[in-house]
Amino acid sequence: MGDIVVLIKPALNPEMIRSLPDGGVDFDNIPLKLSDIDRNAIEEANRLKETLKGKIYSITISTWGPISKRDKDIKMAIQEGLAKGVDEAILLEDDSITPGDQVTTASAIVSILNKFNIKPDLILAGEATIDGFSGQVAGRVAAKLNLPYISFARKIDINGNKVVIERDLEDYVEVVETSLPAVISVTREINSPKPPTLIQIRMASKKPQQIVKLSDLTGVSTQKKKLVEAKVLAVKRKQTMIEGKSLEEVADKLIEILEQEGVLKH
Amino acid sequence: MVEVIVVVQKESDGSELLTLAKKVGEPVALTYGTNEAERLTKYFNKVYKIKEDDPESIFTALKNLYDKFNPKLIIGMSSKNLKDAFSRLAGIYDLPFATDIFDFNVSGSKVTYKRSFLSGRAVESEEAQMPVLLLALPRRTQKSEGNVNGSIEELSIEKKSQIAIKERKEKVKGGVNLETAEFIVSVGRGFKNKEDLKLAFELADLVGAQIGCSRPIAADLKWLTEDHWVGLSGKKVAPKVYLMFGISGAPQHLAGITDAKTVIAINNDKTAPIFKNADYGIVADLYQFIPILIKKLKERH
Repeated sequence: MGDIVVLIKPALNPEMIRSLPDGGVDFDNIPLKLSDIDRNAIEEANRLKETLKGKIYSITISTWGPISKRDKDIKMAIQEGLAKGVDEAILLEDDSITPGDQVTTASAIVSILNKFNIKPDLILAGEATIDGFSGQVAGRVAAKLNLPYISFARKIDINGNKVVIERDLEDYVEVVETSLPAVISVTREINSPKPPTLIQIRMASKKPQQIVKLSDLTGVSTQKKKLVEAKVLAVKRKQTMIEGKSLEEVADKLIEILEQEGVLKH
Repeated sequence: MVEVIVVVQKESDGSELLTLAKKVGEPVALTYGTNEAERLTKYFNKVYKIKEDDPESIFTALKNLYDKFNPKLIIGMSSKNLKDAFSRLAGIYDLPFATDIFDFNVSGSKVTYKRSFLSGRAVESEEAQMPVLLLALPRRTQKSEGNVNGSIEELSIEKKSQIAIKERKEKVKGGVNLETAEFIVSVGRGFKNKEDLKLAFELADLVGAQIGCSRPIAADLKWLTEDHWVGLSGKKVAPKVYLMFGISGAPQHLAGITDAKTVIAINNDKTAPIFKNADYGIVADLYQFIPILIKKLKERH
């Protein structure tokens, strides 16, 4: 009772994007890291654990292969979750589901919950991951489990069996109420996670980790989408530094550029 | 035979979505909330409508129509509530679903499309089997003319709701429209106090620019309302000039300015990553530089 599941993804790190000579994304040389908004989900799980009193599980489905090459990055991401308060990590690592799509990922998450007989009061996820940014896995999982789904949460209050959530939408904030168990996706604004301390990292290695293969699970659907190609967006900026003997001179040069660009009236 | 369900609220979106829908086949529309159902009958022979506009209700109505028609395509314009509603339907039937797409095409039983990838640093092309759910980016598609005279049918949501809406709070707006601005002056953490932003506002007033900002200014410090926020989770802008003060250049911010024609950065840290992502860079203390720039601008004519 009172358990929380956090869905966490080792995502391609956009800051380390590499390009092939033809402009394609050099997938093999972009490292993975724990997706940023998943950190907010872990932080929130920790906060809510004080109320729910259960255990925090993390579930991770590998989406980028080959596993032999990605294994270290994947384990680092999971380790970060354990360091920040996850009690037990479960990981599906299998080359046959990479590159993964959301159909595969969501069905694998549900299959893991069944296999380990985890019946959480709360499933938390980031609103989207930093690589694909599609934000649909949590909603899929909720629908499959027939649980209430509340997306884009920037505030969660639990009171007994009731949860009050503030959803952050384009034009308004919507306050909704539902009952546990539920699936909630959180935004970056919900909290401010800090990096783990050295002691937390050391403690993390003692926590249980379960690694499963596709053959250990049932009911995992095959991919229905295929990545055909990915091109690095070549926004080439001039990178010209404007310098001068004084700031006055620099300001004159800047005004000249603004005139040339047609945003200052003559 | 109905082959497409278009989920739509506004007429302008409907005319674009019709263009996309016609690539697959005969569409019906599902509209929700404060809708433009009457106007949508110009574009769709059948417009189903629900009064509710929350994702749970949209999902329930959409699922009913999906079960009735077994369409090949369910399409709408990207929004947070439709991402929510569509992900549920995709989950129930294990259907492929992609968000924020453009350049949509059909070949045989498959669709192809493009979307932004890696926090705006790449563009991916994907292929998905139909039936498929898609949410498109607005203003990327030619509008279709509305020349039919369709009918409206109101649907009632019978499913018992799991989620109760308690309150809706309108977001405070700063009255900016960054998406259409030609000149944006943007502010970041280089400003030490909220009061200091008046330097940027004075400059913007003088040159007729709109004020943008990085994530911390709107989301964390709340010095400006969220409609000023430029970036991956904020606004995507395309001005002639994007002039930034005290912004270091996080990738999420850069994702919002890829369509800006000329990017100019002023930062007191000469190693700031923004200089590698700017057309022009100036190493200066904004507190010294902005007053000089204002003075020089006032001296012109």
